Amino acid sequence: MGDQSGFLKTGRKKTFYRPVCERILDNKEISFPRDTDISEEQASRCMDCGTPFCHWGCPIGNYIPEWNDALYQKQWTRAVDLLHACNNLPEMTGRLCPAPCEYSCVLEINDDPVTIRENELDIIEHAFETGYIKPAPPLKRTGKNIAIIGSGPAGLSCADQLNRAGHTVKIYEKDDKAGGMLRYGIPDFKLEKRLIDRRLDLYIKEGIELVTGVTAGIDVKAEDLLDGFDAVCLAGGAREPWDLMIEGRELNGIYFAMDYLVQSNRRTAGEKIRSEELIDAKGKRVVVIGGGDTGSDCVGTAHRQGASCIVQIELLPKPHEKRNENYPWPLYPMILKTTTSHEEGGEREWSVSTRKFIGREGHVRQLSCVRLDESFREISGSAFTIDADIVFLALGFLGPDHNGIIEDLLISCDERGNVLTGSDFMTSSKKVFCAGDMRRGQSLIVWAISEGRKAAYFIDLFLMGRTNLPFI
Amino acid sequence: MILISGGDGGTGASPWSSIRNAGMPWELGISETHQTLILNNLRSRVRLQTDGQLRTGRDVAIAAILGADEYGFGTAILVSIGCVMLRHCNLNNCSVGVATQDEQLRKRYTGLPEYIMNYLKFVAMETREIMASIGVRSINELIGRTEFLDVNRDMLNGKTKDIDFSRILYKPEIKGQDALFQTSFQDHGIGQVLDNELIRRVKKALKKSEGVHEDLTIRNSDRAVGAMLSGYVCRIYGETGLPDDTIYFRFKGTAGQSFGAWLAKGITFELEGLANDYVGKGISGGKIIIYPDKRSNYKTEENIIIGNTNFYGAISGEAYIAGIAGERFCIRNSGLNAVVEGVGDHACEYMTGGRVIVLGKTGRNFGAGMSGGVAYVYDPEGSFSDYCNLDMIEIIEISDDDIKAIKKMLYNHVKFTGSLYAKDIFDRIGQTAGSFVKVMPLEYKKLIEASKSAQKMDITEDYDG
Repeated sequence: MGDQSGFLKTGRKKTFYRPVCERILDNKEISFPRDTDISEEQASRCMDCGTPFCHWGCPIGNYIPEWNDALYQKQWTRAVDLLHACNNLPEMTGRLCPAPCEYSCVLEINDDPVTIRENELDIIEHAFETGYIKPAPPLKRTGKNIAIIGSGPAGLSCADQLNRAGHTVKIYEKDDKAGGMLRYGIPDFKLEKRLIDRRLDLYIKEGIELVTGVTAGIDVKAEDLLDGFDAVCLAGGAREPWDLMIEGRELNGIYFAMDYLVQSNRRTAGEKIRSEELIDAKGKRVVVIGGGDTGSDCVGTAHRQGASCIVQIELLPKPHEKRNENYPWPLYPMILKTTTSHEEGGEREWSVSTRKFIGREGHVRQLSCVRLDESFREISGSAFTIDADIVFLALGFLGPDHNGIIEDLLISCDERGNVLTGSDFMTSSKKVFCAGDMRRGQSLIVWAISEGRKAAYFIDLFLMGRTNLPFI
Repeated sequence: MILISGGDGGTGASPWSSIRNAGMPWELGISETHQTLILNNLRSRVRLQTDGQLRTGRDVAIAAILGADEYGFGTAILVSIGCVMLRHCNLNNCSVGVATQDEQLRKRYTGLPEYIMNYLKFVAMETREIMASIGVRSINELIGRTEFLDVNRDMLNGKTKDIDFSRILYKPEIKGQDALFQTSFQDHGIGQVLDNELIRRVKKALKKSEGVHEDLTIRNSDRAVGAMLSGYVCRIYGETGLPDDTIYFRFKGTAGQSFGAWLAKGITFELEGLANDYVGKGISGGKIIIYPDKRSNYKTEENIIIGNTNFYGAISGEAYIAGIAGERFCIRNSGLNAVVEGVGDHACEYMTGGRVIVLGKTGRNFGAGMSGGVAYVYDPEGSFSDYCNLDMIEIIEISDDDIKAIKKMLYNHVKFTGSLYAKDIFDRIGQTAGSFVKVMPLEYKKLIEASKSAQKMDITEDYDG
């Protein structure tokens, strides 16, 4: 352990963001990179607990005390090696992870937790900057071929693990660029897309083959996949959105949040969008239905497009500001989350249910809403309207798209529509595995990485009879 | 009572190597102990206790079935009051305030005794549920009843699947009056110990407001002489005790273990003869004087006169030993002033206060973990530093103040014990003073220097680290 009593000497340093007035004018990353000496100092706050609850909190069981110690000792290369041992995409989680580890940090009990996420980010960015991260193709190939369907965080980490084990990995991606939700779901101000390209470049140089614009089950037939590969891993995500089937849903100007985010990300990347398909919030009154992260990303994107007014409404009551007895440490608490996009403006309302969309000339103009009490009953006389030119539905996701590969291979799904697998991640179809949101339902990036790694473990075990890959 | 402490436990200060690699499961120990006692018709005479990561009612039930009468909990209790197993207990750095003396960190402690009560109630409830499910009315009916345990082969795999549990689950025949749990209780013969006689004499004298000055003989079956007497004095006169030498017993013979244990202020024990281990354990203000039989002619500085582990955890008082003490002299001493003519290994380990003068040779590892108090060692050969553990102490030259302190204590030593060896050193103090070295804990020295600038104070006497 670095400094035994570092946590008594140094307080937690907040993340520094660019000022709101400046950052909403562009799509560049909103946080400042941190000075290395601040990271070293922050790492000294880690107590190297005998029972590290951060390990438990982190779905990929990151060696958090170990690399914090390395960071404090200024052993940056040891730190990044430890970091990579459990995490295939630390530059993504370092920016985007809600950091369940920090909520289970022992210092969270009666102090401020260690800045684990930012320490992680600094370690990996420092490694890239100093040129330490170089392609490291496997020394030996096993001769086994594996197809990975989907290039989101689950697919990529599964591919990376299997490639490290010496298998020949080919990733099929239906979009024209790889990255899945990382690229198309998350706005640039949270994750600049060059970071995905930097990682993909590394993977390609290490021997992973990447095929984009190919939909498995349609462009490439399922039986060809089964014939051509020793194992297949489905990591296609769960992008089917929840809909809100109420009066006026057919009006123009009501979009799924993901359609908006994907298009906005394409625009930021410089792609041209046909004018009849364009969703632009400039000068519009925007209502986002759904109070989660997707909704928040819509808010931030609409700010950058110059929306005149943004309201985000949520069905559930306003969460507590702090952890309460329903969410004791070290559990991940459902607490009020004010994202950087919320800091940029707009209003938020809780316990609001939308009853109908009111339109004029076929276009939505108003939402008719009511307020709910704690047991989700309508409070009488609470009806009100919100003006809206654009409505984004960010109500969550149903599950994976069943058309295509799932149907083709007659893969069984659970009652929620997610792909059903055994504890070995194998689906009802032999040698077809599944990982990520497609298996567990929509979740965090870090869970996707965890799933990808576990699937890789079982695929390697399945193909070779034994495996040296870590379980997570 | 016999405690079988399993290897799965361990404090938060114990090293990982010990936690992982030392010790055996309590299940093995308790079943073997229990069975062996039964085979020898002794089980009913003792209480068996076990511990080592007991956590649930199920653990308690299994421990009982394998033969335990009592069940110890450590980690789980601490967790119930807020411990998160940081394993920093030795670093004074516990972030939840459980194992620390740091004022700031102690404020973070949020535990309540009720949490422990609550936890143990749950354990008891689960134990009762298990007992009810197998039709057992009391815990005594459960002890040693291995017929209630079976092996779940489904849970065993790999190397473990062939393990033979029959020896753990073996239930020996009970013979005669023996039982599966403790049914008879030992007579410790408290009514016959020497202290009763001492108390009787003291009572009589104190009634007349007189001191006691009596001679007695002692033998090595007289153990912990002075302990009950000290308790008696304490009950009446409290912590302040009596004026020095109010109660003065002169013993002759060989004292048993723990001679003068917890001796209270105002009591003086003089012993002409020898003593076994643990002389003056936890001495609390009394005075102990030991010298060899007056008729003997052996050299005090060359012969061992008292056993091992003397003055363990001494709190205050005086001791003059005309002879060599065994190993572990004055461990955890926090305020006793002692003179001795030689010591074995590990002397003054973990000492936090008091003053020790050693007039002869020392064993190795002197002053290990010593964080307070002072020791003076007469070292004419200059070899003492080879025997020291210098992690926390340093050896320095003595000052004029030190010589004064040494002279005073030597004077007493010679006066009380009549040691010729000490008398010679005392008489030639002009020459011998140069052969004394001073052992000073580093942290203690810093503290003294800091307080010296604030006020001139007499070191060592009352400081309790």
